[in-house]
Amino acid sequence: MILDLERFQTQARPRWSNLESLLAALEGRPGHRLNPVEAEQLQELYAQAAADLNRVTHGALAPELRQYLERLVARAYTELHFVPPTRSELWQPRRWLRIFTLFPETFRRQSRYFALAVLITVLGCALGGLAVRYDPASVDVLLPADYLRNPEQRVHEEEQGKNQDLHSTQSEAAFSAQLIRHNIEVAMLAAALGVTFGIGTALLLFENGVLLGAVAVRYTQQGFGLFMTAWLLPHGVFEIPSILIAGQAGFYLARVLLRRREDRDARQSMREWLVLIAGMAMMLVWAGMMEAFFSQHHAPVLPYGFKVAVGGAELALLTVYLLLIGRRMTDAKAHTTVPSENK
Amino acid sequence: MTGSQPIRWATTAELTIVTPEGVLFRLPLAGPASRLYAMLLDITIVLGTVNGVGLLVYWIFAKAPGFGVMVITLGEFAIGFAYGALLEGFWNGQTIGKRLFHLRVIDQAGLPLRIEQAWVRNLMRVFDALPFAYLVGGISALSNPLMQRFGDRVAGTLVVRQTPLVAPGEESWTRQKYNSFMDYPTIAMKLRRAATPELASLIQDALRRRTELAAYARREIYRELATYLQSEISPFPDELVEMLSDEQYLINAAGVLFGDQQLSRVHG
Repeated sequence: MILDLERFQTQARPRWSNLESLLAALEGRPGHRLNPVEAEQLQELYAQAAADLNRVTHGALAPELRQYLERLVARAYTELHFVPPTRSELWQPRRWLRIFTLFPETFRRQSRYFALAVLITVLGCALGGLAVRYDPASVDVLLPADYLRNPEQRVHEEEQGKNQDLHSTQSEAAFSAQLIRHNIEVAMLAAALGVTFGIGTALLLFENGVLLGAVAVRYTQQGFGLFMTAWLLPHGVFEIPSILIAGQAGFYLARVLLRRREDRDARQSMREWLVLIAGMAMMLVWAGMMEAFFSQHHAPVLPYGFKVAVGGAELALLTVYLLLIGRRMTDAKAHTTVPSENK
Repeated sequence: MTGSQPIRWATTAELTIVTPEGVLFRLPLAGPASRLYAMLLDITIVLGTVNGVGLLVYWIFAKAPGFGVMVITLGEFAIGFAYGALLEGFWNGQTIGKRLFHLRVIDQAGLPLRIEQAWVRNLMRVFDALPFAYLVGGISALSNPLMQRFGDRVAGTLVVRQTPLVAPGEESWTRQKYNSFMDYPTIAMKLRRAATPELASLIQDALRRRTELAAYARREIYRELATYLQSEISPFPDELVEMLSDEQYLINAAGVLFGDQQLSRVHG
């Protein structure tokens, strides 16, 4: 053992105490930046503690002292290198409202992943539709639920109002909450499955597409195409794109993970992923409410033409929102900054 | 933040950070058991809160139970995700469970985690919880040197142990007036040279936890340690060792290992 521990501790203890006091003061006021005097003092005490740690590590058998110094050095390192967001940055309502423009901007910036999600879903739809169209035996496999296999009975019940007891505002409210929750869970899983390098996301989208295609063809085959369109369109125009956006987030995550070492701004990548999820969740809240409060009402209460028109109007608004909102701001930025890799 | 990134490597027990200035320090990683206990506590808190709020909501919406169900269903869902994300993001990387079990989520560069990292690691729970009871997350943590579940891998975070530490005070064995081992400087020096930091730490811990150990366990541990030191590391003369209890043997050994001046005086 090289170091005289007792003497060393006696000499060094005052400076460790000073560093502890300074750190306690700084940690007690999160969100505030260091002033120059504090920064200089912290830097000096940090350097001394780091040197002390080095001496203890290499010159003494003192595991506890080493642990203590490591903790002290780690805390000082944090204060010197970490710039926390200030309270005003965190609690500015305008900053949080920016999500409504950030979402379409991010959607457009990462549109290639949306295109991939659409492609996979369309392939699934085509497979599901063709299977039901040309292989009747596949119906039992693809559409296990009876109401999907035999739409006639379901359409009859719906139009006769046999599920009328479900149509009170009370049950609609409860139903909408369950739908919102379930849909957001499924969509978030699609986004999180990006961690499987996008394979899980692709499988989930494909399966969703197969079911969608099979149902569409089955109902159309049986002559209930208009009923189905009017039934699905008012909420589907938000629900289906939001699942596609979840797929977009999943593929984007896969790309971020695959290229992590080259990614110079991991924080920004993480934000983009979160913004896509936040936007997708907002869309699913709307879709859940529409499904419970509007889609479940059929003719003659709500004429099918009206329901289809509402669905069409929603789709037009969503398209405008996703394609145009924030565009001027983005264009202005593009003129003043270096264009990003994805543009 | 400086331009250069810290270097890090990890064993299953700790993460080592080398800062851009060349300072090296270690952070102890949290094991799966303590993380599980903290999570169970957090789940209990969330369920308790949700049920408490649920009763209140039912009472408020007594005449409109459908709205009550709506508020509870969405509230439960939102609290389930937001509890971890908001607490970890705004409360130094800790939930109530993590705080009680002395755990903390940090950035894998050794810095505090950022709000977006807290959200990412908590949203990724939908994947880590698959297919049941966090099996995917558990396997991921056990197969990763940084003990990261998938949420941590994506967010670039990890969970460390953060037991409260105070500057170590003077130990009783460094204040011994007389240490019979010091009469045999050659063997004492051999003990110092041969004792690894782990062995020294083990002796220190065993002596420090004297009152925490049951009498039988204490006797066994002290006997095993003393026998090991005597037979494998530093064979002090039998006539000396026979007069000492195992505990006194260890106190003397700790005095040799951690009391520098006395040995140098013997040499001098």
